[in-house]
Amino acid sequence: MANIAGSIKRRRIKGEGAWGYAFIAVALVAFAMFTAYPVVSAFMISLQEYKPLGSTYVGLDNYTNSLKDALFWKAMGNTLLYTVLTVPVNLLLSMAIAILILPLRKKTQSFFKAVYYLPVVASGVALSVVWLWIFDPMEGGIFNQLIRFFGFSNQNWLGSSSTAMFSLVLMSWLSSHGTSIIIYLAGLLGIDDAYYEAAELDGANFFQKIRYIVIPALKPATLFLLVTGVIASFQVFQNAYLMTGGGPNNATTMVGLLIFNNAFTYFEFGKAAAQSLILAVIIAGISVIQFKYAGKDVEY
Amino acid sequence: MKRKMHVLASVVALTMALTACGGKTESNTAGTSTPAASASTSTAKDTITALLPPVSPNYQKTFEQIAKDFNAANPNLTLKIEPASWEDMTQKLDTQVNAGSPPDIAFIGSEGISKYVQQGMVLDITDTATKEMVADYDKAPLEYMKNGKGLYGFPAYMEVHALGGNKAYLEKAGIDWKKVQQNGWTFEEFREAIKKGVIKENGQTSTYGFVFATKGVAAKDYLGIMAKNAGMPAPFDKDLKYAYTSKNYLGLLKNLRQLIDDGSMPKELSSVDAGKRWNMFLTGQTMITGKGLATFENSAKANNAKITANDGSAVKGSIPVDYIVLPAPTFQGAKPSSSTVVDGYVTFRGKKEPTAEHKANVVKAAYFLASGKVAATTNNDLFAAHITQSGKKAAESMKIDRSADNVIAVDNMLKNATPARPDIPSDLGAKAIKLETEVIVPKFQGLIAGEITAEAMYEAVKTAAIAAFGDNGIVKD
Repeated sequence: MANIAGSIKRRRIKGEGAWGYAFIAVALVAFAMFTAYPVVSAFMISLQEYKPLGSTYVGLDNYTNSLKDALFWKAMGNTLLYTVLTVPVNLLLSMAIAILILPLRKKTQSFFKAVYYLPVVASGVALSVVWLWIFDPMEGGIFNQLIRFFGFSNQNWLGSSSTAMFSLVLMSWLSSHGTSIIIYLAGLLGIDDAYYEAAELDGANFFQKIRYIVIPALKPATLFLLVTGVIASFQVFQNAYLMTGGGPNNATTMVGLLIFNNAFTYFEFGKAAAQSLILAVIIAGISVIQFKYAGKDVEY
Repeated sequence: MKRKMHVLASVVALTMALTACGGKTESNTAGTSTPAASASTSTAKDTITALLPPVSPNYQKTFEQIAKDFNAANPNLTLKIEPASWEDMTQKLDTQVNAGSPPDIAFIGSEGISKYVQQGMVLDITDTATKEMVADYDKAPLEYMKNGKGLYGFPAYMEVHALGGNKAYLEKAGIDWKKVQQNGWTFEEFREAIKKGVIKENGQTSTYGFVFATKGVAAKDYLGIMAKNAGMPAPFDKDLKYAYTSKNYLGLLKNLRQLIDDGSMPKELSSVDAGKRWNMFLTGQTMITGKGLATFENSAKANNAKITANDGSAVKGSIPVDYIVLPAPTFQGAKPSSSTVVDGYVTFRGKKEPTAEHKANVVKAAYFLASGKVAATTNNDLFAAHITQSGKKAAESMKIDRSADNVIAVDNMLKNATPARPDIPSDLGAKAIKLETEVIVPKFQGLIAGEITAEAMYEAVKTAAIAAFGDNGIVKD
């Protein structure tokens, strides 16, 4: 009897295992086709001078040439600067907005969630057109009207090296917080009221509650947003492409835009693939560092 | 765990197999060459594909009729047209080219040919285009479709990059625009003229003398058009030495900066894009604009009609404008060399070698699109000059409402059209494009934004040119 039961159990495990692998296989095949294959393919292309009618193997030339290219490092520097200026500020702004929205009535809260989330679902091109109008360097531009009110002269926001990067950063600060706000709100709603009640009994003020309850409790969400924010920021392309084209004087040329130009302007797919993989390694390295130092006391 | 490893191994194996397949195809097709093909009279059924943007306002509306007419003339052939927007065109075509399966015909600018020659994906039709077809074309535009010894398609039109003036403003500023249309003008004459066009109200400039779109890559158009009139009609001289290291280039840069320093052009010029400069022209914020094409006269007229109709469809704040075609000025005593744009139907090949019959059919279709009634209709819609005898003949019965003065002005400029340079090898051309994109455009943006001097830009270009072409590969004067 025991033998029969054991045999049924074994068969059941076998059957369950097969079904499990069958279900996983769908995801694995999709992953292999749409993620693993392009990455492997990009690596192979990065070792070639790619041409549709026959590529030439060039070894690591595309990597060494990229690493020797001053424009690549300038683009890397621009991307790093953009990341340093945007990611932390965006996290702070999103957290602050989420904290301000939290106590509102449900309908009002939903209204603000929708308002902040709207740019996430809107077309990036359409948003860029609006921002181009806001940054219009002539008298009609909103920012120029605003600064003229305070007695400053017109600024050539996107057309001057001294203000172009700041303009893109400003654009990032003032938009696209929708996803972060929703994630922070979800995190805030998960904090037990008992912590606040205990803090109140101890006489903690608003900022002390933020410092000792909210920020530690939101650490998992912050780590997630920090890692994904840095990855997205390192891959920034659309803003630079649509707003400045990388100019003036390469002041806003980001690595993403440089890779695009190498691939689609010069048809140097090998170099573009090599630069993509260098970027991927850098992003992976930064993510590991973030997990190591910011994620060691995070509980999930 | 063992089982999981098997699954993982299978995935890796599948990935490697797929990758290996891709690599094999590439190496198998490497080094294939196009055998000579002869004109074919085969009656076997065939389909020719064409990727076409909205060349003129009404062009895409006529696709069905074009395909029908082509089929009527060639019953065994089907012309399958895929429409594309101008925005999508390059990316769509590039993706198809790099996948090894481009359309048979695509409408692109002739300057794009060299990049596809480098890829080996354009179809040389020298041996397939008949003598009659070639004889139908004006020589100058046809040359633009050549690279080296190869002919890679048929041109649709040759337009001149002119400037456009507001007639009322020009006359108010005392500028004899008819004389300029006939004789051109020097930089000094142009500089004085646009100074007179500036109008100030309450200390602020309400109308500039001249506005050219220079935002982003548009900066290269401004510099390129002016450089042609400064004794540098191409990036390479006849000895294939890089020309933009000439002292004339430094002089040109200084002159272009002067126009901003004079206040004749806005100091925010580096942020003015094509749409904005046209809006500024229609709203009276500039007397002269560039770059202008003949079709702009049509656009200005259309806006005038909307102002008259007063139905709110006109550009906000616009005023009635009579569009006057003007040539670009000449610099430092150089001969005029008008910048032209030659776009046309470029022929492509895929990874698979096209048969002689298919090649002949592609040529038939490209010629059909680029000549006769189709070309006449499209070019009239664009106000562009006809460049084929068959197009000119077909256009005789078509009515066009165009200023006679502007027609003469364009004809004058076309007499000085910059000749094509099919002798520039594609690898040199590619290096020049890269230098333009990575050094010239960024530095020029800096120059017009007032962040670097003309001398600093010139030195940067010279240094990059020596790095790209060698010390002996550049012009030294």
